This record gives sequence, C-alpha cells and structure tokens, in this order.
Amino acid sequence: MTRCHATALLAGLLMQAVTIHGQSFMDPRAIGIGAFTAAGKDSRGFAWNPASLVQIRDWDFSVTTYTGVAAENAGFAFHGLTLGKRFLGSEAVAVEYAPGTQLHLVVPPTLTVSGGNTPVSNDREIKYDEPGSVGYAHRFSKSLALGIAGRYRRERVTDTRITLVQRDSIPLFPVSITQSLESSTWFADVALLWMPREDLSVGVSGRNLLRFAGASLPDSLEWYALPKTAIASLGAWYQPVTGLHLAGQISTNGTTILGHEWSPGLGLSLRNALFVVRGESPALAAFSVGIGWSYEFLDVGASYLRFTNRERHSGVVSLAEFDAKEIHSLDLNPYVRDRISLSVRAIFGNMRESLARIEGVEMFGAVYPSSFETFAYRPIGKARIRNISEKPIDARVSFFVEKFMDAPTESRSVTLAPGGTAEVELTAVFNERVRAVAKMTIREANILVTATPAETFDDRANAPVLFRGRNEWDGKAESLRFFVTPDDPDVLKSSRDILLQQREALGSVGAGMEPFVKSRVLINDFSGKLMYVSDPKLSADYVQYPSETLKVRGGDCDDMTVCFASLLGSVGVATAFVDIIPPGSPGDSHIYLLFDTGLDARYGASVSENPKRYVLRKGKSGRETVWIPIETTVIVRGFDEAWTAGAQQYFEEVELGLGLARGWVRIVDVN
Amino acid sequence: MKTVAIAMLIFLGMATLSGGQIVVQKVQGDVQLRQGVTEVWHRVAPGDILKPDDTMKTGPKGTAVILVPAASPQKSSKRVTLPPDVMVDISDVRELSQEELMLKLAMEKVRSSSYQPTNDGLNIPNASVVHGTNKSGETALPENEIAVGILQLNGTRVLFENGFYPTCALKAMEVFRLFPALGERFGNRLLVAEALERARLKGEALNEYGAMLKLSGLTPAQESLLHERMGQLRK
Repeated sequence: MTRCHATALLAGLLMQAVTIHGQSFMDPRAIGIGAFTAAGKDSRGFAWNPASLVQIRDWDFSVTTYTGVAAENAGFAFHGLTLGKRFLGSEAVAVEYAPGTQLHLVVPPTLTVSGGNTPVSNDREIKYDEPGSVGYAHRFSKSLALGIAGRYRRERVTDTRITLVQRDSIPLFPVSITQSLESSTWFADVALLWMPREDLSVGVSGRNLLRFAGASLPDSLEWYALPKTAIASLGAWYQPVTGLHLAGQISTNGTTILGHEWSPGLGLSLRNALFVVRGESPALAAFSVGIGWSYEFLDVGASYLRFTNRERHSGVVSLAEFDAKEIHSLDLNPYVRDRISLSVRAIFGNMRESLARIEGVEMFGAVYPSSFETFAYRPIGKARIRNISEKPIDARVSFFVEKFMDAPTESRSVTLAPGGTAEVELTAVFNERVRAVAKMTIREANILVTATPAETFDDRANAPVLFRGRNEWDGKAESLRFFVTPDDPDVLKSSRDILLQQREALGSVGAGMEPFVKSRVLINDFSGKLMYVSDPKLSADYVQYPSETLKVRGGDCDDMTVCFASLLGSVGVATAFVDIIPPGSPGDSHIYLLFDTGLDARYGASVSENPKRYVLRKGKSGRETVWIPIETTVIVRGFDEAWTAGAQQYFEEVELGLGLARGWVRIVDVN
Repeated sequence: MKTVAIAMLIFLGMATLSGGQIVVQKVQGDVQLRQGVTEVWHRVAPGDILKPDDTMKTGPKGTAVILVPAASPQKSSKRVTLPPDVMVDISDVRELSQEELMLKLAMEKVRSSSYQPTNDGLNIPNASVVHGTNKSGETALPENEIAVGILQLNGTRVLFENGFYPTCALKAMEVFRLFPALGERFGNRLLVAEALERARLKGEALNEYGAMLKLSGLTPAQESLLHERMGQLRK
C-alpha cells in the first residue's frame, strides 16, 4: 500500500475566509448596560465582577437563550444557566453552565476530493469556549465586598487530514482522518465592589490574574491560542436622580463602555450602552439597547447588541485578518456578531434582599406613666426610612418595647419611590405595667421596617426609651390633666360621702345652681381635711395622684389642683387649669383651678353680683358659661377665700395683665 | 373754708397725679366704690385713691369727678365727671396703647373660642354624666338684674364722651354678654360701633354695623343710617 500524505498547508489557508459563530454575554441586563463591573446584582453578572454576587438575595436561578439576527444564524439556542446562593448573610456562591459562551471558527477546505460515495475535504475548525464558571463573594461590610471567580476555558483545533491510499483496484483512494487538539485552562479573577453611598458603586476587577493550565496546544497551533494576559477593569454605577443609573467602565484591553438604566416604574427598566474599542474602526464598535421587567421574585430581560463595523462582525473573516491575539475576552471581541439575548431569572428561598432600611430613629421625649395612653395617638418618636430597592414599595414601621407593650404597634403604610425616604411617626400602645414604674427606667425599643410581603421585617433598629416614675410630671399643664382621676374609687367614695352628708341641704338647691353648690360643699369640706405642703423632694416635677393626696391629706398647688379637679370631676363638674408662667420669671410658674358652674352668662349674678369674681368662657358645650376661679393654695381657708384669691389673681393676670392674650396665661380644659 | 378745701383737694390731686393714680376729686350725693373682687360697696370721699380693679357707681342723684393722670408727658390729665346712675370700672378709665388694644381684641377672640387641650384622643372622664336636658335648670334662676347692666352701659357712655373709645367698646360688649337683652337695643349697639370707629378700628366697626343690620325691628331710618355709615367706612 502506497500511502501519500496530502496535508493542507497553513500558508495556503491564509487567503481563505473564516466563518465565525459565537455567543458570549450571558446576561441581557449586562449587554444593555454594557459597563457592568459595578452594576451586577445577581448570579448572571459574576463574570464581570464576582463581588457583585453579594447582591443576590437567597437562591438565584436564571436561564438565558439567544439568537443571531442574520438569516444564517437566526433561531434561538440555549446559552446557559446560572445558580447562585447567598448564605450566612454575607457570603455568596454561584455556578454557571454556559455551553453558549463560545467562539467557533470554520476554515473552509482548500482541497476536496471526490471519490467513492462521499467527497472528502480538509476542513479546520477552531473552537473557544468557557462552559463553566464558579464564583464566590464575601461582604466585609455594608459598603465593601470581595469576589473571586474561576473560569474554565477550552481551545480546540480540529483538523481533517486527507490521505490518498493506493489500492489494487483503485489507484488512489482518499481517506480522511480527523484529529482534535485541545488546551484547557482555569483562569482566576479577583474583584472588589465598593458601595460608599446609596447612589454610588465602584467596581474593580482583575481577569486572568492566575492560570492553572491543563493540556496545551502544540507549538504548530500556538497561532490559534488566545492571549492570557491579565486585564483590569474599573467601573462605576451612579444614580444622579431617582430611577436613573449611569454606568461607565474602562479596561486595560482598550475597551471603554458607557451605559445607563432608567427605571420609570411598574418594574420596567430601559437600558442603553455604547462600546468603544481601541483598534476597532470605527472606534464606536457597538451599541446596545435592552429592556427588563421585574415583579416580586421574577425578572425577565431582553437585549440587542449591534456592531457598527458590518464587515468585521459579519461572521466571515479572511484568515489573513484573523488574529486570535485580539480575543481578550469571549464577551466582546472583533469576531462577535450582532445578537438578541433573552433571559429569565427567578429568586427562591426565604433570605430576601431588604427593600427598605431604617436610616435613623428619633425619640421625642420621655414616657410619663400618668399620660402613657396618649402615645397610642400621639407620636413617641419618628423613624426615617428609605426605599433601597429599585421599585416602589409600601413600607410600615412597627414599634415595640418588651414588658411595657403587649404587641408591637404598626404605622400606616407609606409608599416610597425607589431611593425615596420618609419620616414615619411611631406610636405605642403601652400596657398597665407602665403605671407601676416607680423610678426612672430606660428600656430598649425595637423598631422594624417591613416592606417585603410575607417577611417579618426588612431592617431593624433599636432606640432607648426613657420611662419616668409614676409621679413625675413634665411641667406642662396639658400633662397635668392625666393625673386627674375622677373615676378613682377613692375619689368617688370621698365625694359621694360628703354629698350624702349634705343631701338635705343640696335637695333644696335648684338644678341650675347644683354644680356651683356641690363644688362649694366639696371644697369647703376638704379644705378642713387637707393642708398645703411642698413636694417631698422639693421638685416641681412631682405630682401626687388624688388618692395619694387624700391619703396623706396634703400636697402642693399641683397636687391640690389635681385633687380638686378630680373631686369636682367625680360629681360631673367640668374643670380647667389656669397655667401661669410669668414673663421674666418662669421659675415662679403657678397653676390653679377653674370650675364650670354650667350657668349661662346671664345668670352670673346668681353666684356673684361682681362679674370680676367669675370668668365667662366657652366650655365643651360651646356655650358661654360662668366659671369660678379657685386658688388651691389657700383652699385650706375655705371656699370663699379660695374663690376670692382665685378671682383676684385671674382679674389681675388676665384682665389687667392681658396674660391670656400675651400667652403667659393659658387655660387648659381638663375634661 | 370752702376755698381751702378745694385748694387742698387740688394739692392732693396733683400729689397723687405725680404717682400716676386716679383720684376722686369731687363727690355729690350717693357715690359708692367696690374694691377688687369683693361684693361690698363703700361710700366714696374726695381724695380717695382709686385702684385699677375698683368699680365706682353713682346713685340717681349722685355725681362724682375723678382726675385721671395723663397717659404720657405730652398729654394733660383728664377730669372725668360721672353723672347720676352710672357704673364704671376704673380699669376702663384709661387710654389703651395700640398694643393693649390689639391684645384686648385678641383676648375677646380667645374668650369666644375658648382654649381646648391638644387633641390627643383621650379625655379625662367625668364620673357623673347627665343624659337629657335638665328640666329644672336655669329657668328657675333670676336673670342678671338689667338695671345693673343699664348702669354699666351708662358708664360706657361716660367713657365714650371722655375719649376712652376702645375701653368703651370692649366694656359694652362684655355687658351685652351678661345682659343679652341690652345687646338688642339699637342705641347701645350704635355706641359700640361708633366707639370702634373712633378707635380707628375700621374693620371691627364695619363688622359691628353689619351685625346690627340683623337686629330685629330696625326702622327704615336706622337701616339707612347703618348703610350710610358702612358706605363711609368702605371709602
């Protein structure tokens, strides 16, 4: 057997056109934005920056498909899938299976031999692919993360050689022998992601920093080997206004990419990018547009990448022009063609990304046991919350203090635009245990913000809450109201006992005068039983409850005012505090009592022919009635003296001094 | 003797005027004084010093002259004659500064609206609650004696005639609250409106004239007068 070897020479091939099939970008969002080093947020983008894996929530799964746009390469094909997982809060891993990440060149035959039933040709195919990658990321803090990735690359050259075999019957018979030569290498990438502000991220990545080579191509085929030089990229992701992100990236391989993403709402995102590549003609090598839509755990995206040099990226290149050393990346190189990519991503699991964050909590003041109920309506503090997601959210803030609350109180829902902030007032429904606080106590409050459906909370914060002792008072007349307890059994019993003793005398009083006469009876009776004494600790902020004043039979002006307001209130008489804070000497502040006789102004003479002894004012009924001022500090001398002193004081301070109009006298209705 | 007494009175008056106090110069017939918030009336004698919280009244045949110190060095003291049947609060016998006047008017508004505590959603309960109308209530009580109200309104006229327009108007309004029937009288209300007008409280005067149009039983002449006054104020 004579054997002739006919080998296609490389020199002969140089004039041939090479057909290229390729696909690389795995993520339509990445294609749409282009500059993706600092913009990744899920498992699909870790090829650009593995540190971006820290942005994934829990399980993250995606499938990508693609199609060419030219007639000869149209038709969707499977590109790959990724699976990512975040764990321990600050760690994340991902794997990528991407049979579609490849570049396939076919060098047409220089020799075709027809013989037998099948023609034989000496094709050469070169295939580069990166079918698998793994990534890992660690978050050091809220603003800094590190990522590493390993990419497996294969470079395969397949030659078909034709051998002419001499046979007895057939002079020369062509026999084809196919030979594949392959190299494989693991590349290691390292990257950082820095997020100094809510609206800014900066990414740095180093590709091909380490190589772990397996089999390699023979020297004769080294011409087809891809460059293995390290490439550094620096990218930024900036949000100038709510809903708009700008991206930029430069790489040491001469690629500059600018892009943006606009999220107008309803989960939609529109993207656009420009790719400038050094050495390409024109320099603006490509542009892309993309669209995305996300809802809850689902995210779909599509992108279109178009190259400006139609000849270069036509899928056919002369072998003379082909240079494997230009292929620094399978993602973007002179031989990639226009394409459309589609991807679907789903998020699973319980550990979800927070949609809202608490930026600060401010407590308005202490909780006074006497008025703790007011915090059910009046804010105890406020929390500043921010929407840190990219879609509008409805957020609620809850407030809870263990032991003093039975359940958290929750604010009304607040709608926040992406990046938007709001101050939410916190209310608290405390339980009766607060009343038992004897001395000042500090407790920690838990504040939670919840924006994610079915999640317990998205962020939490703590704030100290100061609980004052049960007898402490903040010095405001409005708060003194809450020491008034007309329904206290001790108060009720005391007032009822006195009125029962005077039953016969009271029976002859007309109903119109009843409140006045009852009040006079009560005050006269108790004036003999109580005495004026200062606070036990010389503090103006200490107020006794009426039952305590009745028990110890004395108190200062606050205690007496509160006690008599309670006694009168227990028999249905409306009262008010006259709060005096003299201008220039606020330390001499004073408080005394007004009670409503219920008499219309035109019957004022029934209580006194001197109008200076009473006050005409509108009560709760809206009717102008006669109110009697009572100076409680002299109440021990009886009703008439307390009335005279109160009326004189009121006339001087309000009518002559114009204190009410000037604001240093205030009247605070108790009931 | 009489000349000596008058000279002494004048001397006394001047001496007290230097202290800025109101002094009784002359008393004839039944003139009484009520101090502060007491309910007892005392007879008044020439030379008595009056305090701002005092109230003075004259009987059917009583008259008195009081000397009111000048409100400022540029002005002279004022001699005010109280005719028979008037009641005057001494605190009203003074010229209010513009600030005091505005504060007084503000206080009227405060009084009419009444102070209510912050709406914190909580109310201190009243242990006794009465449902329904009190059938034996105020109707059994006598209304304030209208004669007292008339005395006070006469007093406001004295204030008006002596140029104390703001206090005249404010006092009259107070009297109307205590004696609603007097507030229905055209002449009394006209006095208030004119006092407001003289006090250069154009808006308040206009409001008062407008409110008077709602009085029942106005004659065409009275209505015409009110429209004329309102027209003049609007110019």
